[in-house]
Amino acid sequence: MDYKHKSIKELKEMLDKNEVTSEELFKEANTLAHSTEEGNYFVTIIDKYRKRAKEDTLINGIPYALKDNFSTSGILTTASSNILKDYVPVYDATVYKRLKDAGAVLVGKTTLDELAMGGTGTTAHTGIVFNPHDKKRLIGGSSAGSAAAVAAGIIPFAIGSDTGDSIRKPASFGGVVGFKPTYGRISRYGLFAFASSLDHVGLFSRNVEDTAIVTDIIKGNDPKDMTSLKDDNLCYLEHIHDSIKGRKLFYIKEIVDEEIYQDEDIKKTIRTFKELMEKLKKEGFLIEEASIDEKLLKAIYPVYMTISCAEATSNNANLTGIQFGSRKDGKDINEVMFNARTLGFSELIKRRFVLGSYILQKENQEKLFLNSLRVRRLIVDKINELFKEFDGMILPASGSVAPLITDDVKSEKLDPKATVLENHMAIANFGGFPSITLPMYYHNGLPVGVNLTGRVREDSLVLNMAQKIEDVIGIKNKVAGDDDV
Amino acid sequence: MIEKEKLKDYAAKLMFGMEEEEYTTLQKEFDVILEQMEYIGKIPNIKDVEPMTFPFPLEEAHLREDEIGDYLTVDEVLSNVKHQVRDQVKVPKVVE
Repeated sequence: MDYKHKSIKELKEMLDKNEVTSEELFKEANTLAHSTEEGNYFVTIIDKYRKRAKEDTLINGIPYALKDNFSTSGILTTASSNILKDYVPVYDATVYKRLKDAGAVLVGKTTLDELAMGGTGTTAHTGIVFNPHDKKRLIGGSSAGSAAAVAAGIIPFAIGSDTGDSIRKPASFGGVVGFKPTYGRISRYGLFAFASSLDHVGLFSRNVEDTAIVTDIIKGNDPKDMTSLKDDNLCYLEHIHDSIKGRKLFYIKEIVDEEIYQDEDIKKTIRTFKELMEKLKKEGFLIEEASIDEKLLKAIYPVYMTISCAEATSNNANLTGIQFGSRKDGKDINEVMFNARTLGFSELIKRRFVLGSYILQKENQEKLFLNSLRVRRLIVDKINELFKEFDGMILPASGSVAPLITDDVKSEKLDPKATVLENHMAIANFGGFPSITLPMYYHNGLPVGVNLTGRVREDSLVLNMAQKIEDVIGIKNKVAGDDDV
Repeated sequence: MIEKEKLKDYAAKLMFGMEEEEYTTLQKEFDVILEQMEYIGKIPNIKDVEPMTFPFPLEEAHLREDEIGDYLTVDEVLSNVKHQVRDQVKVPKVVE
């Protein structure tokens, strides 16, 4: 039977009625994972079924996948980097433990951009992750394999991490829902740190309701993560269909000004977005345009690069090959580390690290690093000021469909024309805002998403509004290869 | 254009090396990066803004009680160590 289009709720009902067993669902997912291996969605596919939990939850018996930068005791965890290609952790990440305790069945560990430091899904030690909608295109990253595996219909949900837009951008290119809640809502314990002040845990699914179901399970305070939030004691699923009448959204006019773009595909996305705004108004949302100083908007990308690369250099200082990871020979301890890092990191990662090193040099700290942190505050303050009046910010998640895989894209050379439109979602990382991408429309069979960002701690409201937006758009539970897109 | 020697120094400080042609690519990339970085400098009057190191103030910051929590056994700690001897990590001799 085809389970690809089933939601978590539908699968759970089938399990409860004994129409299917959890082991059958696992086997189906396992077969699909193996039959799509050329897409490079997984670093590790798990072949042995693990029994369900006793405690009944909405995800008990449901198969899922975990990004390969979450620690899983006894299961290879590589972060898609050569330096960790043989690393087997000895402890569980909290998110994995919670899913295991709730009975979800792990199908595999998914491919990412090396150490999560990339946005294309093309830099893993195992190669490029291809977009299941079109193998000539990338899926985006860094949570590339998680997005692709959900988009391909292998599993109904997958866990990812998001530092700049690493869940929400591939969700757009994959035609799936991608959500990162408020900073600290889901524990980061056991997630390999990239940039600690920006890193979020989140997930992919094929509809907003499933996103709420899984978030309800994995959220909550964790004493092992000192930045973890107090419980909000809300069941997001219970509030998902609350009335949104009178809820106020804004979009940033400078980002969705059709006139400034030459590209016909981007113009089409903007027109579709504006049409959506009209439909949402008819359904009860109040939507207005807001203006933000272009100087601030243009600073989003460099501020993101500065902070993330600087934090990454120190977070990854533990990768020496000595305590764990791929060790290399050397005449002294320094040479052992130097050789392990030289051979263990790919060129792109090294370029990012060198940038981080440059930013942290004494002579650049004030001008680049501290000023980036200051601009970060100005951007977040501006959004929080708008959030006094509005319940959410809505914008296209990408300008167009997933790009073709070209040499320039593969090497992740910085695009001098990188527009604000392609990088605005990092705002939600700067401020820790809950943020969700869901499919908006298909252009020649390829998806483009819309993104909604809300106030800190108001994850429930963001999911509630996203549910309404999904209802209005009418796209859910689609997988790559469907005829009707 | 930024000097290649400087880039080599930055890489060495982080304990890795790159191929000669990779430094050439990086040198060109730095031009683009520094151009992007200019946007940070274009924001006026930021001298007195407090740098933002965290998305929002932590709700609670307290020191936990000094109790024994989860810990790893020696075998677990050493399970990923490639070179070891008598329950210790083996590294090249420091003193000849």
